[in-house]
Amino acid sequence: MKTNRMTFTGLSSALMLMMLLTCSNRLPAQTAAAKAGNSSGGAKWNVQLDKVDPGDVNLEPAFRIAIYENLLDELAKTKRFKQVFRSGDHNASELPNLLILKTAVLKYTPGSETRRAVTTVSGATKLNVRSQLCRPDGTVVVENVVEGDVLFFGGNLRATHNLARNIASKIKASTLPEATAPDK
Amino acid sequence: MNYKTASWETRARASSSIDRGVACVILLLGFSLAMVGQNPSGPKSPASVIKATHILGFEGASNNASGTLSVEGNALQFQKSGGPTAQVSVTSIQDVLTGVEDRQVGGTPLALGKAAVPFGGGRVVGLFSHKKYDTLTLEYLDANGGFHGAIFLLAKGQGEALKSQLIAGGAHVSHSEDQPAAQTNPEVKK
Repeated sequence: MKTNRMTFTGLSSALMLMMLLTCSNRLPAQTAAAKAGNSSGGAKWNVQLDKVDPGDVNLEPAFRIAIYENLLDELAKTKRFKQVFRSGDHNASELPNLLILKTAVLKYTPGSETRRAVTTVSGATKLNVRSQLCRPDGTVVVENVVEGDVLFFGGNLRATHNLARNIASKIKASTLPEATAPDK
Repeated sequence: MNYKTASWETRARASSSIDRGVACVILLLGFSLAMVGQNPSGPKSPASVIKATHILGFEGASNNASGTLSVEGNALQFQKSGGPTAQVSVTSIQDVLTGVEDRQVGGTPLALGKAAVPFGGGRVVGLFSHKKYDTLTLEYLDANGGFHGAIFLLAKGQGEALKSQLIAGGAHVSHSEDQPAAQTNPEVKK
């Protein structure tokens, strides 16, 4: 009777151990598959950033430049693209898998850091832009309307950093078409 | 009586020697001031090297770094205090734009101090702890034709001086974008 009980305990513990090992092996495999699906089968797109279009909005030049430079940093951080090119870069024109990111300002509310510090509830800097990820022929692949604000703390230019981070996270979350030509 | 006359004469001699000494000192001061005024290197040196804070975008310089901006020959140089020098060719600059920025001073320590003041007293401190700066925005091209933008924060009134130095050095300026938006504008919609 004792031997039977010992055998049963040994078998059940071995079974549990096997189940645990199988589960732990499967989880990383699933994560890897999900990652591969997100990066469109291994081939990655390159992206070129166009200059920020202020449109009819009376946007300060420093804001236009800050949006552009922050976007370059944030796009590189997403690791969604093989290379991030600046506007006008000759090296980008020869690449087959190229997308162009166009950014147009729709709305801008100039704020004041002092007003924010004194009143807390007023003086917010707000930016609203339309970002379009296009093919070189002009076909829009992904389009988003994104906001970037500074409501309480920080300088006015912080709105551009928040905006760039929001645009990059939207692009990261979106599904891109599969890159057709193989990368060099 | 004789004693009184002698003391009066001594006093008169002493006062005349003091007067001469004072006159000599005034004369010397006058000459030295005139010499400083004629010295050509005196007023020029602070104009060519300007203290600045690099906000972002200048290649080779870290963001929010304090240092000096100078136009050396055909290059605009930014030297971080105690660090390496980053530079771009003045002729590669496509546009130079100036603006005005109002910022809170004191950084994190003052912000924490303001938060610690009871009964919202920190807000009153916030009313006085701000300073106006000039912003200098540069647009330039790299060797591959890639477009770059850089923003610097300068002491008030120095933005225009540096801009004119850059224009004299061969930087391009587009006059259509020469009017920056005012900070007090109401909400602008497209």
